[in-house]
Amino acid sequence: MASNRAARLAQLNANAPEWGAVSHVETVPFGGRLKIERFRLKNGLELLACEDRSAPVVAYHTWFRVGSRHEREGKTGLAHLFEHLMFNEVEGRASGEFDRLLEEAGAESNASTWLDWTQYNIAIPKEKIGLVIGLEAERMSRLVLREPQVTSEKEVVANERRFRVDDDVEGSVSELLWATAFNRHAYRWPTIGWMKDIEGFTTDDCADFYRTYYAPNNATLIVVGDYVESALLEKIARAYGAIPPSMLPVEDYQAEPPQTAERRSEVKKPTPTEKLAVGYHSPALGDFDHLSLSLLVDVLFGGRASRMHQSLVRKQELAADVRASVGPFRDPGLFEIFASARDGHRAEELLLAIDQELERACKDPISNEEIERARARTELGLIAGLETAEGKASTIGFYETVLGRPAAAFERLDAIRRLGPSDLLRAARRYFSDSARSVIFVRAELAGQAQKAAE
Amino acid sequence: MSQPNVVSQVEPNLLVEPSQDLPLVSVSVAFRMGALEDPPGGEGSVRLLGRLMRRSAGGRSAEANDALIEGMGAGLGADVTQSTVSFHGSVIARSLDRFGEFLIDALARPSLPEDELARLKRETLAELVETLDDDRSLARRWFRKTLFAGHPYGRSAGGTKAGVESATIDSLRALYRRLIVPENLVVALAGDVTIERATRFAAELASALARGERLVDRTPEPSVRAGRHLLLVDKPERTQTQIIIGGSGSHPADPDHFALSVANTAFGGTFTARLMQEVRSKRGWSYGAYSSLPYDRRRQAFSMWTFPKAADAAACIALELEMLEKLRRDGLSKNELAWAKRYLVRSHAFAVDTAAKRVGLKLDATLYALPAGYYENYTENLRAVTLEQANRALKERLSDEDLLLTLVGTEALVGKPVRDAIPRLEGSDVVRYDAE
Repeated sequence: MASNRAARLAQLNANAPEWGAVSHVETVPFGGRLKIERFRLKNGLELLACEDRSAPVVAYHTWFRVGSRHEREGKTGLAHLFEHLMFNEVEGRASGEFDRLLEEAGAESNASTWLDWTQYNIAIPKEKIGLVIGLEAERMSRLVLREPQVTSEKEVVANERRFRVDDDVEGSVSELLWATAFNRHAYRWPTIGWMKDIEGFTTDDCADFYRTYYAPNNATLIVVGDYVESALLEKIARAYGAIPPSMLPVEDYQAEPPQTAERRSEVKKPTPTEKLAVGYHSPALGDFDHLSLSLLVDVLFGGRASRMHQSLVRKQELAADVRASVGPFRDPGLFEIFASARDGHRAEELLLAIDQELERACKDPISNEEIERARARTELGLIAGLETAEGKASTIGFYETVLGRPAAAFERLDAIRRLGPSDLLRAARRYFSDSARSVIFVRAELAGQAQKAAE
Repeated sequence: MSQPNVVSQVEPNLLVEPSQDLPLVSVSVAFRMGALEDPPGGEGSVRLLGRLMRRSAGGRSAEANDALIEGMGAGLGADVTQSTVSFHGSVIARSLDRFGEFLIDALARPSLPEDELARLKRETLAELVETLDDDRSLARRWFRKTLFAGHPYGRSAGGTKAGVESATIDSLRALYRRLIVPENLVVALAGDVTIERATRFAAELASALARGERLVDRTPEPSVRAGRHLLLVDKPERTQTQIIIGGSGSHPADPDHFALSVANTAFGGTFTARLMQEVRSKRGWSYGAYSSLPYDRRRQAFSMWTFPKAADAAACIALELEMLEKLRRDGLSKNELAWAKRYLVRSHAFAVDTAAKRVGLKLDATLYALPAGYYENYTENLRAVTLEQANRALKERLSDEDLLLTLVGTEALVGKPVRDAIPRLEGSDVVRYDAE
């Protein structure tokens, strides 16, 4: 197999475009049944290919190592706005033709931007893979940016912001929580950007951003599904092989200084019940502690059997809902808690009840039974996320982009199997510190009206 | 592939597709009737029953059952629509036997205790209050409630405050005896399971349930009020307005059902369809702009959904009405039809790319009593649609006059401009977002 591949690559490379020579870098097992082949083009473009013939479809992802962390004050939201613009126009094609061709081929396409990355995903019937490769290569290097489209897309993004943040209680509170918890690191501004920044972008801002970050040596292609490797490599080398690498800028990284005192804030929102948001500084995804903290947070907040649900929702009946997550980011992020009070209860009551459970986790070791339950939930979540080619590509792309290890989901699962009560106790004592947290109390402007509601 | 991707209809009420792709099994246990069985004034009762069954499986406490499910690496939810109750779960394959036992406990041996019902009612009431924060859900709820006023489809499967409060343990037990019987049962499994194992589970489940009568859906066809009517759901401090405009839609047995589906796709079914192009791409007015045409056992609604900022709401509505009028008057072009058909036929690959999805379509066909061969002949039926059929379906099935416009926004900001922007508006109401 390896020698066949080497021979095919030699043949392919003999006729490759200037930057299109392909080398095979490694084979990485992905779960028990599949494997990922890592290839690299001469221009630095990484390709992770995972053959999976369980359905006659292919998932084609492009992950760029640029997110809102690469922006600066006054230009927040640029990575996300740019993600929108990538669907507009490329040289030689009419505006909107990109999407029209993909939809005609039966494709499902979308994109997303977060703190560390931007990704574009297309799922397509296998016989149309060539179309996707051509279109994605075109927009990586020949995007057209015109004033009217930028103006219109800014308005779309402003409307997205109104939908996800301004008119959404949880969205707006989460934004405030991050802005409160971070003073220096670029994680302090929202990925969608502040409204005044969105309104202020120019076409030149967008063109600069494109030239700076949208280069083959800043991207990874993920291909999962029913394809023929030799044909795939040949098409990719031809489509991307003419794109030169660029000189990527050095990131203006600003470490977040340790938080030494609790930060509290209070806001009023047009909602019928009080809410509470709490953010503790948490480790980066690649930190071993991230595993321990994630498992601990699942014990405390994951599912109906969790301690917080049992305490706040079932026993004390203080909350309608309580949940939490540990940020999966390249740099230290937040362990975020969000809770909605039941009518007549205050956010302070929620905080007190949450604190009691967090203190308990710092004092007494978590039982093996609870850890086993959290492990089972984690395993189910991972497996269920791998049912489709799209799910597999997302998992591979995410871990490759953030950690540089495409099969890290399985590594994490193995590592979680080895964690015990001591690891969780250490994580609780290390991260559940009042002085390293931010708290947002949400006052309900529409309180008292809730008893009339819901009919 | 180790075996062909084929759903086996092992028995009339058992669907199975084994697949060893992942160590995961998807299990659905569904019953052929749902919230339509809610007693008068008791909206939400069937949903309460489904949740209470899960909580009191085998006579155990809710805490013990939650720990049991999560400990085996499984998830289980009770979903209630107007026409179905469905217990759907996924489980890591090694725990399938235990999960099957749990399901039989939940379905055939729930204790339905009074104290847990009281707690569940309080939880559900709190959740209903929380839904007031979600403008999109509010718009959808008010749209259905008003469009289907006086018809069971206008009632909320999720429940209302009065409906939830009125539920008693006796009323739920009566519902249980009526609904949860083998005569209404359909079981579907997909994934790392053999046909033999699935058959055994279905037989054990059916024999554990007390026998009853097969329920027949006697719901009448809904009718839609004539003329254009506006319902403005007034909520403070809305920077944007959720807008749903719609009227009578499609029935899966309509001879032009597939023709209308193709036409709807070209109009508002995708990112490059007319609605998205005009509202979002050209004007930037709304992040999303779609039209939809869902199905049930009776005719459902056709609707358009947009959410522009408050200042653009009136203009957006005027544009949508004009587009609908033009669509009915001029129809689709030949190119639009061809493009929509290609999209629907080719993208169907993603509706059937896993065993669980393939079984899910078969399950829907059974539960919703879809015409024979609905999904088996799906792509052929789409390919066969002609331009004349699609344009005739638009004229005959959709109306640009008998429409309900439902908005969730701030009345002081959008009320007058919106009313002024709607030609031939016959009626206009304003309700508080938390009213009833």
